[in-house]
Amino acid sequence: MRRVTAIAALSCALFGGTAAAQPYSGVTPVPRTTDAAALHALASDREIGERIRLGIAALARAAWPAARDEFARALALHPPEPQGSTASYDLGIALTNAGDLDGAARAFEAAIALDRGFLAARANLVSVHLLRGDLAAARAAADAYVALAPDSARAAYARGIAALRAGDATTALADFRRLLARDPKYAVAHYDLALAEQRLGDYAAAERELRAALALVPAYARANIALGAVLLHEGNRADARAAFDAALRDTDDATLRTLATSLRDAIGR
Amino acid sequence: MSRLAVRVAFIIGVALLGFGGTGFARASVAALEDLAGGAFVASGAPALLGPIDAAGRNGWRCVPERTAQTTQPGEAELPAAGAPAAGRP
Repeated sequence: MRRVTAIAALSCALFGGTAAAQPYSGVTPVPRTTDAAALHALASDREIGERIRLGIAALARAAWPAARDEFARALALHPPEPQGSTASYDLGIALTNAGDLDGAARAFEAAIALDRGFLAARANLVSVHLLRGDLAAARAAADAYVALAPDSARAAYARGIAALRAGDATTALADFRRLLARDPKYAVAHYDLALAEQRLGDYAAAERELRAALALVPAYARANIALGAVLLHEGNRADARAAFDAALRDTDDATLRTLATSLRDAIGR
Repeated sequence: MSRLAVRVAFIIGVALLGFGGTGFARASVAALEDLAGGAFVASGAPALLGPIDAAGRNGWRCVPERTAQTTQPGEAELPAAGAPAAGRP
């Protein structure tokens, strides 16, 4: 009896070990055709998949030109969906990182043209337009993104930033409020909401939002600088100075330090 | 010089100083307001969502697509407090 149990245990261990150690992927079915066109199509499909795989590997090691070339080659093979929109999307990422922002915008637009519901491509298109400084294009892309995904947090944030930078504080206000309704602990939304309030002339609301942001992230230097500027506008110089001092204490960013120092010194003049 | 002329000159001098002082104060306030305007800079653009493999955006298993769609700011890969300002990657 003991011998039977031992053999059974050994068999289980052996079979289990074999399964766990299996390093090979499943066997690819052999194409059962001799038709030249069909064989060419199969080879092309295989190459598209491989090019996308190699491109993603290149992105992972920050080899942007190599990644760009792999995705461009995949696209030259006229891939079907979803590979076509996917290769365009990945090409957009490679081009953004390579510094070709115009090319990246075109690549994300091509991905969207192939697949209208491609939300990740729409999200990246807004970011690229913001990086390009094309606020009208960013706003149009963000509006389309929000229309397709009205509950998306990223869509609300992206459009809020595009609107704020383009001077549409009313839309920015609504988007950041929507974001905060979902997560009141997102300090950045409080900060940008404060900016929208300030642009609409409601300095009291701006101060309240900035204090909310700072309650969540006390070392939020940019919020302290904005708070100081709001307090300065309200005539509260002592508290404004304290806010600028806090910003100086909390950041190593040279631009922010210069701004905080200039504002603090200007109060004393 | 007559006493009247001295008085007139004194009054004009005081007036000029007053106007100059007010102008200087106004210029200082305007300069401060201009400087403070630089304090209101919008947060940065969201970082790009990551690559997608040849399987395409296959529903909820595709992380970038899920991130683009989620309703929760904490899952949407949005900038954190203290991230670079708008216009800077």
